[in-house]
Amino acid sequence: MLKWIGAVVVLLILAAVIGLSVMAGSLRGAYGLVRYALPHMHRGTLRVGDDAPDASLLALDGSSRFHIRERTGVRPLVIVFGSYT
Amino acid sequence: MQIYKDYKDHADFLTVYVREAHPTDEWQMNSNVKEDVCYAQPKTLEQRVAIANDFVERFNYPTPFGIDDMTNAANDAYAAWPERIYIIDEQRRIAYRGGMGPFNYHPEEARAWLASRYGEVRAKRLQRYLTRKITKRAVAP
Repeated sequence: MLKWIGAVVVLLILAAVIGLSVMAGSLRGAYGLVRYALPHMHRGTLRVGDDAPDASLLALDGSSRFHIRERTGVRPLVIVFGSYT
Repeated sequence: MQIYKDYKDHADFLTVYVREAHPTDEWQMNSNVKEDVCYAQPKTLEQRVAIANDFVERFNYPTPFGIDDMTNAANDAYAAWPERIYIIDEQRRIAYRGGMGPFNYHPEEARAWLASRYGEVRAKRLQRYLTRKITKRAVAP
């Protein structure tokens, strides 16, 4: 009985590894996805209709700051979050 | 950013740079190497500022830009990583919340929201272009 349970667990783990590898493009990618991406991926709790959170941001000059809130209230604000890589 | 060019007369835009998605010291992708976009995860704000400026310079990126600080406050508040689009309305409420990138990142949804408010800008442009073409042909001997 324990052997069967063990076999099922191994198969499930194998399926997960294969699935992640397919999703990430390679076994190395699967490792990267689990190790570095999943801890930072958050569904978040914001919903349409919620008050937009404010946050302080740095300008490209590296010294001046502004708040997201300063850019809102007059016209719709489209915010695109991302990185270079 | 075509959506910015099309709707900047109607809405404000802000691009927020957050922590890197595929840095060299974490989960680097082959595409990063091919496109020569190879950066380690910034450990200081100065490093983030430098990478953000590289990006803007390389792509001549037109929209207003902000950089999340090392506390990742904006990233956490908006569950932004690795990429996401929001639209905040005039009442400072979330009017559109895009899906988490890359698979659920659909800028065309943000465009559709703007189009529902301000009209489809591209269609109007195409219509004007075609009208000019047809008029020229009708007038030409």
